[in-house]
Amino acid sequence: MKNAVIMNEITKQYPGGKRAVEHMSIALKEGEVFGFLGPNGAGKTTTVKILNGMIMPSEGTCEVLGIDPAKHPDQVHALSGVMTEHAQMYDHLTGRQNLIFYGELFGMSAAESAARAGELLEESELAAAGEKKLATYSTGMRQRLSLARAMMHRPKVLFLDEPTSGLDPESVQNVNRLIRTLAQERGITVFLCTHQLRYAQEVCTRYGLIAEGKLLIDGSLGELRRRVSPGITLGIRTDMVPERLPFLKKGDGYYEITLKAETEIPGIVRAITEAGGSIYEVTPKLPSLEDIYFALTASKTHVTEVSGWKKQ
Amino acid sequence: MEKTMKTAIKAVIRKDIRSITVNRQLFITILVVPLVLTLIVPSIFMLVIHFAPEELTEFERILTLLPLTDQSVDTGRMVSTLVFNYILPLFFLMIPIMAASVMAAASFAGEKEQRTLETLLYGPLTVKQLFYAKVSASFLFSMLVSWSSFFVMLLAVETENYFLNGRFLIPGANWFAVMFLVSPAVSLIAIILIVRGSAKAQNMMEAQQKAAFLVFPVVLLLAGQFSGVMLFRVWMFAAAGAVLFIAAWILLKASLRNFNYEKLLL
Repeated sequence: MKNAVIMNEITKQYPGGKRAVEHMSIALKEGEVFGFLGPNGAGKTTTVKILNGMIMPSEGTCEVLGIDPAKHPDQVHALSGVMTEHAQMYDHLTGRQNLIFYGELFGMSAAESAARAGELLEESELAAAGEKKLATYSTGMRQRLSLARAMMHRPKVLFLDEPTSGLDPESVQNVNRLIRTLAQERGITVFLCTHQLRYAQEVCTRYGLIAEGKLLIDGSLGELRRRVSPGITLGIRTDMVPERLPFLKKGDGYYEITLKAETEIPGIVRAITEAGGSIYEVTPKLPSLEDIYFALTASKTHVTEVSGWKKQ
Repeated sequence: MEKTMKTAIKAVIRKDIRSITVNRQLFITILVVPLVLTLIVPSIFMLVIHFAPEELTEFERILTLLPLTDQSVDTGRMVSTLVFNYILPLFFLMIPIMAASVMAAASFAGEKEQRTLETLLYGPLTVKQLFYAKVSASFLFSMLVSWSSFFVMLLAVETENYFLNGRFLIPGANWFAVMFLVSPAVSLIAIILIVRGSAKAQNMMEAQQKAAFLVFPVVLLLAGQFSGVMLFRVWMFAAAGAVLFIAAWILLKASLRNFNYEKLLL
């Protein structure tokens, strides 16, 4: 499968000397849902802007579907759809009129834009609000319309910057479903920026974790687990644990132990029962993206404090 | 230019014109100046000429200095012709600029304020094409207001003149030079400057202030200069219009240089 997005040693330094992105190298395969994850201010939006030719990198090169955005931003825009919180639509137009306008902006005829707008309003569950002015829309409705707007011209790559902020849980599920369908059925590559790691884990196929403009690690969840925290945390609810085992007491009758592999679980269970303990619950827990991120940044506590992204 | 680009530019132009016309308050404000200059002021002139010819002594002195018309016709008729062919055209240097200044000021700054500029920039138009679309939208709107005002004025002045004096006024060649050359060229220059200012401004207020500082001195200067130029032969007047058009074209090219996404979004 071909690479849809390539970043090669990209650095962006602003005139004041601040480095928003540093030596970033990433490659995204076509049809992949790539979660670009980091706290606010980590450099996610800057990266999206670089990949769309809105800002020029100070060093390095990048490509979107084989086109260099620094040289031909207009060509990249024709193939990509971008949704960011700074890219709003017109309050004095209705939802439908907004979509039709953006369709025409991408060179679609009035009839084609109107048909596509109808289709997307339906998909975004905004058909009933289509004739209402955008000024009357709630945050969630605006988000959904923005996503529809980004898809108007059937882009091949979608850049979504915090697509679910301000959405209720049901809408989040709908957006997730939509993103999965786009990637799996239509082969669209999705570059999804978010600071909500739990959300990303539900929808992405691969991840890039960043902090202070630097890529910490990238890969599938399995790869990240293997590379960062290969162990399994086993949670056990029991009335006693043998003293020789290194259990940590986490609550009333609840203990945790770190194992190297799943194969160790039967031995642990047997040891407890043989010592006379009763087991009520056994839960093997694989490290989540949050665990991985904080394992990576543990040595750099200032990262989490400065950017307001603290471990809970 | 590719067909898709044309569709895109047209969409931006339509959207920009619509954003002015749907804002009733703004639209009425824009229409006040043309209405005053094309309906009220000419009507006052015509009524004064007809009902208070003794007030025309100042005009008579001007008339004796001018090599313009047949001195044998009566003063009232000569003054009406003077006002109609030499003073009213000057208003058409101001009307399109003032009509378009609000829209031109909003062109980029308004989009920044509404946070819609970034969305527009993620479209397939290059920054230059977008600048061109923004200038075109303001220019078309200014010409729409200008020509509508012209026909309203013509209807009013001719009707009044017919009922008061039993005859029509014949538009001189000056009108053609103004409406087809000088007025569009001057408007285009003002619009390019205001749109450029708007791209650099952070918000509407700043853009409008810039536009006001830029436009009003230009308008006054032009009005002053052209009231003299009006007395030249028509071909010289037309030539001035052509020169202004070339100046507008050079200005447009110069404005497009060093214009990029990063500067717009800063």
